[in-house]
Amino acid sequence: MALLKKSSIWIAFLVALLGLPLLFDSILAISILNQMAIGIVFALSYNMLLGQGGMLSFGHAVYFGLGGFLSVHALMLIEYETMVFSILWIPLIGGLFGLLAGIFIGSFSTRKAGTVFAMISLGIGELIAASSLIFSSFFGGEAGISGDRTFGPTFFGFDFAQNIEIYYVAAVWAFIATLFTWLFTQTPAGRMANAVRDNPERAEFIGYSSRKVRFISFCASGMFAGIAGGLFALNYEFITEENLNAATSGRVLLMAYIGGLGYFIGPIIGAVVLTLMNSLLSNYSELWMLYLGIMFLLTVMFLPRGFAGFIMMHQVAWVRGNMKMLIKPYIITGIPALLFTACAIVLIEMSHTDDEVFHYLGLALNPASPITWIVILAIAGGAFYATKRSLIQLNDAWETANAIPKEEEA
Amino acid sequence: MLEVLIFATLNGLVTGFLLFMLASGLTLIFSMMGVLNFAHASFYMLGAYFAYSLSLYFGFWTGLIFAPLIVGALGALVERYGLRKVHASGHVAELVFTFGLAFLIEESIQFFWGRDTKNYQTPDLLDFPLFTLFGQEFSAYRGFMMAISIGIFIALYYVLTKSRVGIIIQAAITHPQTVSNLGHNVPLIFMGVFGVGTALAGLAGVIAGPVLTTFPGMATVLGSIVFVIVIIGGLGSLAGAFIASLLIGLLQSYAIASDVGMPDLLNLLGISFDRSHPLNDLWTMNLPQIAPVLPYLLLVLVLIFRPTGLLGKREE
Amino acid sequence: MAILSLIDVKKSFGITEIIRGVSLDIVEGEKHAIIGPNGAGKSTLFHLISGRYNVSAGSIHFKEQQIENKPPYEIARMGLARSFQVTNIFQRMSVFENIRCALFWSKGYGYSFWHLLGKQTELNDEAMHVLEQIGLADRAKFPSGELAYAELRALELGVAIASGSELIMLDEPVAGMSHSEAQNAVELIRKITEGKTLIMVEHDMNIVFDVADRISVLVYGEIIATDEPKNIRANSKVQEAYLGEVPSA
Ligand SMILES: Nc1ncnc2c1ncn2[C@@H]1O[C@H](COP(=O)(O)OP(=O)(O)OP(=O)(O)O)[C@@H](O)[C@H]1O
Ligand SMILES: [Mg+2]
Repeated sequence: MALLKKSSIWIAFLVALLGLPLLFDSILAISILNQMAIGIVFALSYNMLLGQGGMLSFGHAVYFGLGGFLSVHALMLIEYETMVFSILWIPLIGGLFGLLAGIFIGSFSTRKAGTVFAMISLGIGELIAASSLIFSSFFGGEAGISGDRTFGPTFFGFDFAQNIEIYYVAAVWAFIATLFTWLFTQTPAGRMANAVRDNPERAEFIGYSSRKVRFISFCASGMFAGIAGGLFALNYEFITEENLNAATSGRVLLMAYIGGLGYFIGPIIGAVVLTLMNSLLSNYSELWMLYLGIMFLLTVMFLPRGFAGFIMMHQVAWVRGNMKMLIKPYIITGIPALLFTACAIVLIEMSHTDDEVFHYLGLALNPASPITWIVILAIAGGAFYATKRSLIQLNDAWETANAIPKEEEA
Repeated sequence: MLEVLIFATLNGLVTGFLLFMLASGLTLIFSMMGVLNFAHASFYMLGAYFAYSLSLYFGFWTGLIFAPLIVGALGALVERYGLRKVHASGHVAELVFTFGLAFLIEESIQFFWGRDTKNYQTPDLLDFPLFTLFGQEFSAYRGFMMAISIGIFIALYYVLTKSRVGIIIQAAITHPQTVSNLGHNVPLIFMGVFGVGTALAGLAGVIAGPVLTTFPGMATVLGSIVFVIVIIGGLGSLAGAFIASLLIGLLQSYAIASDVGMPDLLNLLGISFDRSHPLNDLWTMNLPQIAPVLPYLLLVLVLIFRPTGLLGKREE
Repeated sequence: MAILSLIDVKKSFGITEIIRGVSLDIVEGEKHAIIGPNGAGKSTLFHLISGRYNVSAGSIHFKEQQIENKPPYEIARMGLARSFQVTNIFQRMSVFENIRCALFWSKGYGYSFWHLLGKQTELNDEAMHVLEQIGLADRAKFPSGELAYAELRALELGVAIASGSELIMLDEPVAGMSHSEAQNAVELIRKITEGKTLIMVEHDMNIVFDVADRISVLVYGEIIATDEPKNIRANSKVQEAYLGEVPSA
């Protein structure tokens, strides 16, 4: 019974992963789901480094990319029948090479955390990305390399030509990877990673070499990144230099950070949110990267522990049964805040459009007329002021909701 | 051969001094606040774009003067309203903040100026060859770039060693805690240093824009190189940054100008490989091809064997 | 039988010599106090023994083995545990996790990534037991960074003693505690170090004379006397160094 209770959340996660394509079955939705599965594994592996181990990496795409390249090469081997095995095992190949790269690079880069580690990771990331363009017979130069996932032995009649079939493969792998990254946090090595993150010096006085503790997390993280790379290779059947360069490294940092470092669920939230933004927002606006940048900076400034941290902030109020005290203030602040955001977006979009009429939220606006601008600016100003004012009462409500009850204090 | 060497040296010096303009600001900011400003090269890019826009209406020279000032003011604002807030969340948050800022600046530049390369040109006044050597011209503009960079270098040196502010800054670098005890307004100094550092980056952008092309990727091209420099030189060491800037500038310049490669080496050793050899890429590699990789290779080697860099004292 | 012996140990930072030739034998099972004025080098001496600093000259033996300049984790594994004068814990982990981490090595878990901690009943019970001893059982799940000062000091002590090392070194364990808190801590130290060797730096002379079997006086990087408490009290050199601070009673 206790076991059932403990594993219920995992069962729910698996059911959600496998059930989602039943709810969303369009081609776009399946493609988004695939990206999410990849993103979750990748972001979790990143959190293992930064959130759990305190190692800020600017070159994490290296392990993802190397895993991906080796996976595409494995697909080719299957295609030319040099080796015959089911493509189900491709992510394992990615993981293996991610792990090998981790062992090699970690052997010298984990000596220190902090700035030195961050810079080594940046240097190695740039080094490998630049070298990959030189060794074009392996990396395929700018164009990358491609494979075909349908040549391997079929699995119960599935030949994996469909994206939905690959999604189920990716979902199962994502589940396994999530489970194992979580289990890792529950082991002595995982806990010591936290300890070394907090205080590498003291860890040495309780018998642990900080460097070795970091090294273990680093290798594990490389392995899971490689698995994510393998999933990428399966899904897209090609991979390019872009998948191991700084842009990809930056993206995974964004995911993990926005989701919330230090919470296991954080990177999962981050991967889901960013993938959704990436695929949905990019349909509506070519400026979505700008919005992403703004959102990221605001997160770093105002929600240093990410979305997950924001949710967890409410734990105290929840435990004390005070959540209802917060609902009204949230709505009062939320409405002008949303209005302000909407105005800001329309101003940005209008200044970037050549259309005569700009359609937004059911309104037809004329970007050429100064009146449109003045009105929207005025609304934005009002909304901003209202938000600022209402923040005061939200703050008060927050204090009361979190205050220690009188009798408990005594 | 000699002409190649001379021109490679000259170009290497031009690049080296330009890099130092960026690296010096980055080093000052790091020494004072312990923040490695990831967005430093983005301010350099902003400098180029502001100067380009100003030059369209008022000419190059106005841009040269005002663009760095605007960039510096922006930098000071970023410090005051962004970085200072994030400071409480620790070093990782600060680094991540500047990383996000770099991302946002690049996107904003595409928003305001578009994705295409801007036709930002050298002023007519400097559009003549400074001298001709072995039939090859060295443009006056490159000479001008070098003059500005050396001027900045001297001014910086003078300010840091001779002026009162410079002495406070130097003290803040070596003894961060004590300066505030002496009653100096440390937050204001921070804001000032950040502003000046970014203004220097902006100035570098203004003068580099016409030769290195003004496009939204220009920060990425230079950004990581400047990082490499401050680390190779030793975090927090201005002299180290200076040496490393010239080193990297010359190294890249020589590597590009040379045409030796693995084939020459193999010939020398009397080894030859089939073109279908799986490592063919390795056997046919040449120096110009690996020039972009060299700084990173150097960085990794330095960090492994001498984590404090050439002249650095502190590891963190 | 000396469990720890220092032979002419020296330490300089730059040109200033902070430890100027210290030789000292710690007998197995004794409670040894090191006293001395501020800046005498007591903490530095601790850092040299526990491997935080390398020595500039001289040698240190622990259980017959040379340990100077070894990394701290190797020395810790040999059975030497220590606490710090400035609280030095894993601030983002819970109080319970702090103690449990301190137990890992001695319980033989090493760098294991295959043991699930939830299943290690014996380990978890032991960690809870340590928490009860240091009076933080009701704080088990609390983030350690948010503890009150006295609680932090108790946790600092807990991390040092958890693993049950043979030699325990405590650097001003009760500094900053109220009188009654200090009294409790001293009782705890006495109980926990029963049958073990203790080296303690402490400024409170009442505690020192209460706990210690022998006392060494470190002044300006040199040990000017090592003796039983009553002889130390009578030592004129010590009195001179302390300008009469030694309680006469
Ligand atoms: N890392 C270091 N670099 C330079 N000097 C140091 C260093 N560590 C300690 N010192 C100096 O060594 C001397 C002894 O310091 P130490 O902390 O060992 O004294 P202490 O006896 O523990 O004093 P207290 O009773 O105040 O704790 C001091 O003058 C201190 O300034
Ligand atoms: Mg001390």
